[in-house]
Amino acid sequence: MTEPLPLPVAAAPEHLERRAALLLVLLAVLVTASIGFVLYARGAFEATQRVVLVADDSEGVVVGMDLTFSGFPIGRVRRTELAADGSVRIVVDVPVKDAHWLRTSSVFTLTRNLVGGTAIKAYSGVPADPPLPAGAERRVLSGDAAAEIPRIMADVRALLANLTALTAPDAALAGTLDNVQRLTGRIDDKLGGKRGALDLLLGDEAPRLVQTLARTSQLLADVGGLVRRADQQLLGEQGLLADTQAAVKQAGALLGQARDSLQKVDAVLKEAEAVARNARVASTDLGALRADVEASLRKVDMLVNDVNRLWPLKRDPEIKLP
Amino acid sequence: MPPAAAAYDVAMLSSAAPGLSLGRALRLRWRSAWAVLNLGALVLALGLSPSTYRRPWRVPLAAQVVRAAWPLLPWFTLLAAIVSLVLTRIVLVTAQSYGLSQYALEMVVRVLVLELIPLTAALAVALRVTLPMAAELAQWRLQGALDDARSRGQDPLRGLIAPRALAGLFAVLLLAAVAGTVALVLAYVLAHGLSPWALERYARMVGHVFSPAVSLVFVLKTAALALAVSVVPIGTALHGRAGGGQGALEVQGLTRMFLAALLVEVAGLAGNYL
Repeated sequence: MTEPLPLPVAAAPEHLERRAALLLVLLAVLVTASIGFVLYARGAFEATQRVVLVADDSEGVVVGMDLTFSGFPIGRVRRTELAADGSVRIVVDVPVKDAHWLRTSSVFTLTRNLVGGTAIKAYSGVPADPPLPAGAERRVLSGDAAAEIPRIMADVRALLANLTALTAPDAALAGTLDNVQRLTGRIDDKLGGKRGALDLLLGDEAPRLVQTLARTSQLLADVGGLVRRADQQLLGEQGLLADTQAAVKQAGALLGQARDSLQKVDAVLKEAEAVARNARVASTDLGALRADVEASLRKVDMLVNDVNRLWPLKRDPEIKLP
Repeated sequence: MPPAAAAYDVAMLSSAAPGLSLGRALRLRWRSAWAVLNLGALVLALGLSPSTYRRPWRVPLAAQVVRAAWPLLPWFTLLAAIVSLVLTRIVLVTAQSYGLSQYALEMVVRVLVLELIPLTAALAVALRVTLPMAAELAQWRLQGALDDARSRGQDPLRGLIAPRALAGLFAVLLLAAVAGTVALVLAYVLAHGLSPWALERYARMVGHVFSPAVSLVFVLKTAALALAVSVVPIGTALHGRAGGGQGALEVQGLTRMFLAALLVEVAGLAGNYL
């Protein structure tokens, strides 16, 4: 005989039904709250206005993604569609309370990042512009980080080719490095000797250079002594400078004397000038005297002429033509 | 013929002696699976009919619901909170160290709420509630008590079987809802502290994750998991091959339940990410 099964009875303990009701209500509340929260989170209770962004490529744009302004999401992509001219129309719902961020001068960008999704961003440069009207269509600017990759790859490839050529076994760089290595090896060898790298650079000439350097050093020491002596002679107590100063003083005195002499010469010249002036007066008198003498002589001449005319011993004044 | 009687006929067939031909074994297996599906449909139909929630059938249902959910709820909530805390913290710190902290919360919500919590709730209910219930029913079946009750004109389906399956279903949904809410709250608190100023952005992120398609898959997956862990063990206990005794029936139920849960999970992943 089997045990009687716990089949339903008409009444159950009161607390059992209460607990069951409590659990049911809890589930109902949680499910309702979750649905409400998700609907709120998806913006189902917000009044929105529509902005249509026109792009060339809808790659990476998914329904539900955000339109951000300064990093804050202010809209959601509601739909993407292909326009008649082949461009992409991205329909974005912007809550009315956030719509004031969008102005007629706002710029929209669509950027594709290497990590993470595509982002649609809005920039409003002039907040004083009139607000963007509902249903406005705007061109979206695309920036694609991935589009740079092929160019960068080409550059990198060229760079790698250059590097490969540089580092090839028969490349110039390898030869140079080889030479450097041999050089450094020789330096190492020579460093055991006295002159190290100098021997390497100059070979047999190195001792002469060292000798020259020693002589130069000696010369410099001599020149130093010379300069010191010259200094002594020039600037010392009995030096040339002191003598020169004395000579300059004497020259000053001599110049004073010369000035006195010149003043005397000046006086003499003045006297000479006075003498000359007297002489000029005297020469004027001489002119008058000469005129007198000339008059006297003319009279004598006339007298002689008269005598000659009157005198029988006159000469024949006839002129004979040849 | 009442549906329950048909189900028992199938059970008798499928509990035939081992050593069958492959075709017959496959046919029996298929009929057994069909019987389980049939039971699931019956349970759902009963769950949706108002008479189930009226006396006298309300009493066993209330008793099984309280039995299934009441002791499990605090412990599972605590466990889910701890696991959520640890996982959220790990994801947040790791994402921060990679400079991807803006994706951390989204990942936490996806991994925890969408994937882990429904599965964990279903498995917890299966292990703590529906498998013991299935064992109970298997024992009654093997003792012939169910047949006796039927022969006395009682209805074991409405009085014993459906309340248990519905209680399991309900417990999975309740635990998933509670743990999901706790995980969402904990993720917010761990990421932003107790400040209310990130609520709007957090809500937006959650709304972003719960797109219509993802939400639909989430609801369907949770419901399917709940059905799988409540109906499959009980159905197998009633309609599985009874040749190996109660232990064999339990193992059979466990295996089928895991298989069903796996199929549901794979279908959910395919729906979400393909």
